[in-house]
Amino acid sequence: MTEQTPQSQLSSASKNGQPLLEVNNLKMYFPIVKGLFGKISGYVKAADDVSFLIQPGETLGLVGESGCGKTTVGRCLVRAYQPTDGSILYRLADGTDVDLAKVDGKELRTYRTDIRMIFQDPYSSLNPRMNVFEIISEVLRVNEMCSPKEMEYQVADTMKQCGLRPEYMRRYPHAFSGGERQRIGIARALVTSPRLIVCDEAVSGLDVSVRAQILNLMEDLRRDMDLTYLFISHDLSVIRHICDRVAVMYVGKLVEVADANAIYTNPLHPYTESLMSAVPIPDPNLRDRKNRIRLEGEVADPANPPSGCYFHPRCRYAKDVCSVETPVLRDMGNDHIVACHFAEELELTGVRMS
Amino acid sequence: MADNNNVLVQVKDLKIHFFTNEGTVRAVDGVTFDIRSGKTLCMVGESGCGKSVTARALLQIVHRPGKIVDGNIVLYRKKSHNQTEEIHISELEPKGRDIRSIRGKEISMIFQEPMTSLSPLYTVGNQIMETVRLHTRADKNQARERALEMLNFVGIPRPERIIDEYPFRLSGGMRQRAMIAMALSCNPRLLIADEPTTALDVTTQAQIIDLMQGLQRDYDMGILFITHDLGVVAEIADNVAVMYLGNVVEYSDVYTIFNDPQHPYTQSLLRSIPKVTATREKLEVIRGMVPSPFRRPSGCPFHPRCTKAMPICSEVEPKTISLNENHQVHCLLFDESAKKPVREMAS
Repeated sequence: MTEQTPQSQLSSASKNGQPLLEVNNLKMYFPIVKGLFGKISGYVKAADDVSFLIQPGETLGLVGESGCGKTTVGRCLVRAYQPTDGSILYRLADGTDVDLAKVDGKELRTYRTDIRMIFQDPYSSLNPRMNVFEIISEVLRVNEMCSPKEMEYQVADTMKQCGLRPEYMRRYPHAFSGGERQRIGIARALVTSPRLIVCDEAVSGLDVSVRAQILNLMEDLRRDMDLTYLFISHDLSVIRHICDRVAVMYVGKLVEVADANAIYTNPLHPYTESLMSAVPIPDPNLRDRKNRIRLEGEVADPANPPSGCYFHPRCRYAKDVCSVETPVLRDMGNDHIVACHFAEELELTGVRMS
Repeated sequence: MADNNNVLVQVKDLKIHFFTNEGTVRAVDGVTFDIRSGKTLCMVGESGCGKSVTARALLQIVHRPGKIVDGNIVLYRKKSHNQTEEIHISELEPKGRDIRSIRGKEISMIFQEPMTSLSPLYTVGNQIMETVRLHTRADKNQARERALEMLNFVGIPRPERIIDEYPFRLSGGMRQRAMIAMALSCNPRLLIADEPTTALDVTTQAQIIDLMQGLQRDYDMGILFITHDLGVVAEIADNVAVMYLGNVVEYSDVYTIFNDPQHPYTQSLLRSIPKVTATREKLEVIRGMVPSPFRRPSGCPFHPRCTKAMPICSEVEPKTISLNENHQVHCLLFDESAKKPVREMAS
């Protein structure tokens, strides 16, 4: 994109209160190294000009196919990656802004306790050589947040909140089931009383009955502890269930951001429409839905994206202009932001509500 | 049901136990179902309920220390118009010639992880050709021809190029297509698909499901589809078997399972899934979790989590009760003979 579009122009959401996090033109390029001398032959644009807001107390969903850059965005927010460009403005409790993309080293540590992360795989994200107490309290110890005595209370308290029995504090992760491990992961994120939690596919690896328990737990915690979630998932039914607003990504770019209801019932981007149409609905009476859209082909290569609108080779509404001109994110009213040349003209179908 | 011409495979009272140092795990504990040609049977259940092991038993590829201890798996093979041959798969030697001639030819299987189930050392074409050459008299060129045809058939673009590619060069969806091409290269009569779309994106999943349904229509193939995604079940199943800890707790056609489920587990399972069509509300939860296979609850294994558990449920193992011809439930609620003694004891 030649012209930078500041977020403030795109969204009037900032009017109804101060956002907790403001991501502006975030770029994360990974170099492709070739040859013996590490010559950089190109970049994988995993996140390319991503801008969005997260309001305090809301759950923002980030969806897209694998390889679309949703995890990269999440990792940039917790600063597991150093973004190539762009800013991540984080509003502190006292109202001042910090640009997390610029902060480094020691200074960053204070914000790491504010923004926490829950990972997908409850098996590989817990160190098998540490017991539950050590896993959960590690962040407290590293940041010297409380005395060893208090630590025990705090860990026990957090464990209780997450539905774990504090008596099991000295056990090792292998003694727990998948659902319990995910609770440990959640407890580890919560123990610092964070304000924002990035949940990267936090329930994707769980069984149906356990998933329901974890989703309910996360919902309760959000209410009780005043949390804000960025919920990254490819599972549109889960996103539908837990999110207030949803952002759809395609090959490193945001293509649509809107209120969850609007995204599902009235999508404005053809990619969102085809995603919605592909979700299997657990009702056999609806299996012969008409006008189902089957996306042809594969997700574009982020190292070598198509010209113009990245989605145009797979888009069934594509016209000549789509392969030439890159669409810009525009506000279509009601905070419904979309990047499509024909957002006004297309009549797209969403999920029919039961 | 056995005299039905369409029955491809009949599984009766199958029991597979794993003999480990910590004790015997009853992974599959008396499972009965049949698969018909042209129909899709979906097996659903949470992890550890025995659905994959059941599927593997159909090919005699149950890993040690697992063993088929009891039960029958019968493959019906049509010989002529009114003659059918019965092959007792459960009695075949796992490494013998007979079962090997069935594997990949009459019954073939697609696995969940297309990356680990394709060999990284051979090209996609080589792997498909291997199956073809093993089961038919085709020479190298004919086998290659067949492989190309199959790759084209499953919708892989530029098959003449892809055939000489190694699996790591393909995307997840393409790999799964290549797996399907391999599985179908000898026109199997039964396709076992063990979570074939779980690792894929929704859009790719929809493509693969479409492909499988198309193939089924064309070849009148029977499909055993294993999944934990009830959405997928609602899309493709003709019949559904819900499994819990080694038992089929409910078996019926897909409409009955979704619209009028009878077993408490099926009912709770259906209520605990977030739906894309419904707005935000609290999900109903099945309390507790799937118990460890070593600590299998007494009586009905679901009773500690069941909302309708009766005192007797912890004592008596339920039998399979037929509610009607095509609806079986494995629950004491429907077993009048089991209920009676309780009332007598109570009075």
